[in-house]
Amino acid sequence: MYKYIFILLITFLSVNVTAQETIMNASEIAAFKKQVSAASISTNTIKSDFVQFKHLDFLSDEIKTSGKLFFKTPGLVKWEYTNPYQYSVIFKGDQLLINDGGTKSNVDIGNSKMFKNLNQLIVNSVKGNMFDDAEFNIKYLKTPKANKAIFVPKDKKIAAYIASFELLFDKKDAAVLEVKMIEPSADYTRIVFSNRILNGTVNDAVFKN
Amino acid sequence: MMQFLKISLFLFLFSSCSLKTTEGLRTTLVSKTQVENLYFSDHAQDYIYKAKIDIYGRYFGGILIIKKLKKNTHRVVFTTEFGSKVFDFLYEGDTFTKNFIVPDIDKKFIVNTLQKDFKILISETAQVKEQFELEEIDVYKSEADKRFNFYFFNKENQRLEKIVNTSKSKEKVTILFTSKTENIAEKIAINHNNIKLSIDLDYFKKE
Repeated sequence: MYKYIFILLITFLSVNVTAQETIMNASEIAAFKKQVSAASISTNTIKSDFVQFKHLDFLSDEIKTSGKLFFKTPGLVKWEYTNPYQYSVIFKGDQLLINDGGTKSNVDIGNSKMFKNLNQLIVNSVKGNMFDDAEFNIKYLKTPKANKAIFVPKDKKIAAYIASFELLFDKKDAAVLEVKMIEPSADYTRIVFSNRILNGTVNDAVFKN
Repeated sequence: MMQFLKISLFLFLFSSCSLKTTEGLRTTLVSKTQVENLYFSDHAQDYIYKAKIDIYGRYFGGILIIKKLKKNTHRVVFTTEFGSKVFDFLYEGDTFTKNFIVPDIDKKFIVNTLQKDFKILISETAQVKEQFELEEIDVYKSEADKRFNFYFFNKENQRLEKIVNTSKSKEKVTILFTSKTENIAEKIAINHNNIKLSIDLDYFKKE
């Protein structure tokens, strides 16, 4: 029960944090979904820089890490952290291919529904196409420059890890600008993308460990 | 039968005296009542480490965050590289609180092991019971939670280089510190002797 109150509270708070944000009406939501879906369909590859900020309420500073993201259809994703350490993880079918500063390992996620869901979530959030009402309660907001979707997972197992997450979209081209994952404790991880290259050449070799 | 018991008792007593940690060390007079581990003592500092954990050949990476909140109070949080929490522990003096742990690893044995390891790591002071030395090191023995901690200090720069946690007869956990900067351990290696668990920590370099 507390969890639900908490999730509601977090959603409520994030709705009210920025005064500029307003809730979309039904036709705006439809237009927004259509725009994201069109952008998603036309996206075959993504190359992007990212900066990750980990916020923990008891720390003086956010923990900053950064690197590059690669995406290639249908579902190849590579997160590569380069600062302050080398770490990469490739999502490839039922496998996670990890290279932690030279230590390589594979994780088979074939049997884990939880991991599969998370994987799907990551692939979809990179592409921005994840407006699945069966999996999430979704809230749609707009600011002068960006559209925002807030997802509250319905699956209790996922909700134990993620209270909600938010995707911030560029109003012009529906590109994902930011991803924010909020934990049940209200600590969060914010990932900000920059230097995005759409449909450039991304070799398959990128997704080999 | 009595003979057997006597021999067994003798063997037990004998083996319980042969702690490897103090082999080759000279016993000296106790020169101070307590020793300090200052590596996690500054509450203005966020202690952030890249962590590599190897447990029975299974390998995990992540980020270890240690913060001194106030006197005798530390928060120890482990997250994945993506930032999601794996566990979140709070130490207030002798009180331990498990704020959060991923359900998959929420097993008594795992929690106990981690709890004890990090307790040794963050404990700032220890009462000295016995003292030993070699040419370059001073070794201080203290008692904690029915076990013993041996603190190895470099004589020249007075930096803590090693903590060995032992029972009466066996080494249980060894923590090695590599420190170039005062009160910052750039590298920490936690190794277990009785279970196949090692934790390697690398201090985040500031940009």
